Amino acid sequence: MANSALFAHSLQDWIGIGPLWVWAAVSAVVILYAIALPFAGIATYVERKVSADMQDRFGPNRVGPFGILQFIADFVKMLAKQDFIPQGADRILFSLAPILVLAGACAAFAVLPLSKYFLGADMNIGILYALAVTTLIAPGLLLGSWASQNKWSLLGGLRAAAQIISYEIPVALSIFPAILISGTLQIGQIVETQGWVWSAQAGTDYHFWNAFHNPFCFLAMFLLFVGGLAETNRIPFDLPEAESELVSGFSTEFSGMRFGLYALAEFVDIFVMSSIVVALYLGGWQLPFINIDQLSDSIPTLLVAFIQLGCFLVKVFMLVFVVMWLRWTLPRLRVDQLMAACWKGLVPLALVNLLGTAVWMWAFNGRSIAQLVLGPMVN
Amino acid sequence: MNILDWAVSLEGYLCVGAILFFLGLAAVLYRRNAIGILLGIELILNAASINFIAFSKYRAVAIDGQLVTLFIILIAAAEAAVALAIILRLYRLRETVDAGEASIMRN
Amino acid sequence: MTTGLKIVLLLAELLCVSSAILVTFHPNILHAAVALLFAFLGVAVMFVYAGADFIAGVQVIVYVGGVTVLVLFAVMLTHWLYKVTLRDVRKKLIVPIVLLVILLVPAVYKSLVELASSSQNIAPERVAEFAGSAKTALIGQALLGNYLLPFEAITILLLGALVGAVGLARPK
Repeated sequence: MANSALFAHSLQDWIGIGPLWVWAAVSAVVILYAIALPFAGIATYVERKVSADMQDRFGPNRVGPFGILQFIADFVKMLAKQDFIPQGADRILFSLAPILVLAGACAAFAVLPLSKYFLGADMNIGILYALAVTTLIAPGLLLGSWASQNKWSLLGGLRAAAQIISYEIPVALSIFPAILISGTLQIGQIVETQGWVWSAQAGTDYHFWNAFHNPFCFLAMFLLFVGGLAETNRIPFDLPEAESELVSGFSTEFSGMRFGLYALAEFVDIFVMSSIVVALYLGGWQLPFINIDQLSDSIPTLLVAFIQLGCFLVKVFMLVFVVMWLRWTLPRLRVDQLMAACWKGLVPLALVNLLGTAVWMWAFNGRSIAQLVLGPMVN
Repeated sequence: MNILDWAVSLEGYLCVGAILFFLGLAAVLYRRNAIGILLGIELILNAASINFIAFSKYRAVAIDGQLVTLFIILIAAAEAAVALAIILRLYRLRETVDAGEASIMRN
Repeated sequence: MTTGLKIVLLLAELLCVSSAILVTFHPNILHAAVALLFAFLGVAVMFVYAGADFIAGVQVIVYVGGVTVLVLFAVMLTHWLYKVTLRDVRKKLIVPIVLLVILLVPAVYKSLVELASSSQNIAPERVAEFAGSAKTALIGQALLGNYLLPFEAITILLLGALVGAVGLARPK
């Protein structure tokens, strides 16, 4: 609200008419459809290819060159399927649940820093907003599982909700070190301060990527990633939909487009989770060792924007690949192991990280390792 | 006065707060299910938060109301956790969550 | 503030009130809990419009992500899946309705008429400036300054609630 979208501004300037909020809404929808949906579609294809590679198979190879159009075929199949609501199901909640889950995942797109110039809304509570809207996922899963009137669904939903609210704690605690360093919740500024040390201009303080700010932050990045993995219900934390125990968990009774919404939400959620790790700890849109923004005198701003976008997406896709890689590498945890890992492992470690970062900030006056080694910046 | 202007005014906020408060009170009196009573209490707490936030913007023009709201939210969370633990305990003892059945201490 | 933004706030307020009615009178306790979720979201939007965006974020995280999920858990653990009645035993409707009318009407009247005509109104520019400014840092400073004692007290309260809830819910 207070910080209206830059993108919306430029859209409004370009078209020249209409109130700003219309263009904010339009740009939100455009960003969602231009990035979230294609990403989810291509991610399903990549996931199948990656898993095929890891199991020494071919994977999809019939539709289009290298089977790349497979996801469109899947999508059409999903739309054409019967939309089935089981007898005795709670119809209202059954329809509401997938929408809540997808809304929770997609709403976080508003604050993802795709580039300095493509930032939906750089609100001053940015990262808190991302945490807040993604909490809609837990009640969504729980309601969907209850509404299906199926014991596997219910068990899956209960597991999902317990897992998500437990892992919310280490995730939040692992976000705090990054906030501590940047002194702001605004994602755009958090990314801005992660520029290369020597390219800082007068009056700014760049300290390179937060992951390399100090040893505690390096660990916090891994904790955030592991916690995010658990929140997105991915292997090794996929107990809510463990095939060998619960058929398909909370999504057992869902078919057609409703199941499609769940699947879409899962991939969007992975994208959001990886983006948050990248934005907070891996420098967001920043290129390592170069300040691309300083070059904007010599090259057009639009090009800078797209270089930053590419930089951000490359980092995010590398993390998404790690997520897929883990799927075929690690076995699934048991329920008790899951809870023990969270409460006895991640939470204490995250607290130590937070304390350690605070002490580091106090002892070295907020300077990163790179700043300490390379000396003060120019100007 | 335009209804849209009314919605953003102090009166709009207070009105919503008052309605939420009394609906919450009605839920506490009307519901027999202990969880339903808890829902009513949450409504009442939210109504109080709305009033604090509204006055902090339109009268005090300071953040003190927001801090009080922060504390209300935290206390509500603690209260919900304890209340639900009590409800689960009651359910284990009496196989019901009807608040009227929780009368072991009466005789 | 543009008309569109005002419409959004009005819709949020209507969402609050209508979900609160469902919370109070819906016979199915699970649906009442879901309605409460939407009431929380509506209240969060109202907070954003009053310049309390940080509080709105906390509201959503704690209420939607915490309290609602706990309530749903409790409903699901205390009502058997295959014998779902979930019906709340109705008491007589007359008491809450009479109470509502007796108490609500004067309260709404007071907030509508008397406050509207009160002379304490602060200059709208100041209010708008306050609503638009960033307050997260101020909240942090206040928590470790003027509000340090309540802040410390609430940490102890939360710890007590945590231990107490675990102790109560644990099977013996």
